[in-house]
Amino acid sequence: MTEETAAQPRRPAWRTVIRSPWMDVFQYVLVLAGVAWFFARGTSRMGYNWQWYQVPQYIFRVVDGHFQAGPLWDGLMVTLRISGISLLLAFAIGLVTALARLSHSFVAQSCARLYLELIRNTPLLIQIFFIYFVLGPVLGLSRLPSAVLALSLFEGAYASEILRAGIVSIHRGQWEAAYSLGLSTFDIYRDVIMPQAIRRILPPLTSQAISLVKDSALVSTIAIYDLTMQAQAVISETFLTFELWFTVAGMYLVVTVTLSLIVNTMENRLRVAG
Amino acid sequence: MADEKPADDIIIADRICKTFEGGIQALCDFSTRIRRGEVVVIIGPSGSGKSTFLRCLNGLEEIDSGSIVVDGIPLDSSRKNRLEIRKEVGMVFQHFNLFPHMTVVENVDLAQRRVRKKTRQEARRMSMDLLQKVGIADKADSYPGQLSGGQQQRVAIARALAMMPKVMLFDEATSALDPEMIGEVLEVMKDLAREGMTMICVTHEMGFAREVSDRVIFMEDGRIVETGTAEHFFTNPHEDRTRLFLSQIL
Repeated sequence: MTEETAAQPRRPAWRTVIRSPWMDVFQYVLVLAGVAWFFARGTSRMGYNWQWYQVPQYIFRVVDGHFQAGPLWDGLMVTLRISGISLLLAFAIGLVTALARLSHSFVAQSCARLYLELIRNTPLLIQIFFIYFVLGPVLGLSRLPSAVLALSLFEGAYASEILRAGIVSIHRGQWEAAYSLGLSTFDIYRDVIMPQAIRRILPPLTSQAISLVKDSALVSTIAIYDLTMQAQAVISETFLTFELWFTVAGMYLVVTVTLSLIVNTMENRLRVAG
Repeated sequence: MADEKPADDIIIADRICKTFEGGIQALCDFSTRIRRGEVVVIIGPSGSGKSTFLRCLNGLEEIDSGSIVVDGIPLDSSRKNRLEIRKEVGMVFQHFNLFPHMTVVENVDLAQRRVRKKTRQEARRMSMDLLQKVGIADKADSYPGQLSGGQQQRVAIARALAMMPKVMLFDEATSALDPEMIGEVLEVMKDLAREGMTMICVTHEMGFAREVSDRVIFMEDGRIVETGTAEHFFTNPHEDRTRLFLSQIL
């Protein structure tokens, strides 16, 4: 305290101005204005005829006081359904793979390793095609299950690495203490290791979930009418290319930001005192 | 069971050897018997195999050869036996190793519910009794991170006792503590010893050894150098190595 008050008079005036919170606000506004100017200039130079007023009807309409879903809304629902199911499956696959890699069984380890390397080192697009066109007829999978399977397998591989990193980051002493109490390996994972690991890996796991939502756009390639596919269809009829793509990007943004916020709340709830 | 007297010897370690990867021999033909109700203190320079011996007793480390029998159960490759032995052997670690995401009382509850299959209420009653006993019942709902080292170690003792073990292993239980907290943990350990608990303590607290131990084992390079009462070690150790070591820690 005394040190600060003593130092106060010696601080030059320009430094006080630069360190004030108003300076931060000013800088932030300046950056935003720059970005806005850049876009305004870019779009006016394009000579594009912007028709934003056309867009809302493709999301939804209210007819006689009744909600009527537009194609983009329908697409969003498909995207949400595919992403939601894939998210759960990817987590389950990731967990099993991570545990297999950490197990003492050579077979489990090498199977997990093979799956991981195969999936992580090939493009998702090709995996979707492979599952839909090659495995689909064999296993009797229609479009939607194929898409969900491809996405789950793809993101599950990444999730498994995150989970494994989280599990091995827990100190050996925790295992030893739990073993010395006579707990079984299953109990130790459930009660001691996973609750701590999950807290640590929530941020990277969230990034992976967000990737999954965005990667789900690729299912449009096997003609699933998700958000992206619906947008393509509307654009081919209306030529509202930029308006619709920006709108679709905004809709993905709303989904992913909501996801982040939910996880943030979870993170705060799970925070341990001390 | 047939040729031994299990009522007397709760732990029989017979010529156990343990070599770590990299060729460090931690235990070499190490044999000892621990009687029921005996308090044994193991001393020795670091790297002499004291901790390794404790960790072998509940299967945290696997022995390369020799045999260990705990309360009539042989510690072999059988997973069932290993779990059975761990139920009977409590362990307290140098760095406490409490579960940081659980409250103090949840730490003590966990094994009772999962291993002893007690109901939440039964476990809670026992946990609170034990926390009372180690003088920390008022912190039952705190998290380990909110406690001092001494308090955490007392919780760790309560957690191990909750399994109603027949033997308690203390692996340098006071070595990581600030000096002013060592006393409170030693008090709890002394109380346990007076109640007749079988205890094996790796420690350099010679005052503790003198007050409650029945036997002191001095180890070096994975072998027993000298065994005797604490009094013997203070007054008349036979071996030069023992004298040298004692002169360094006292």
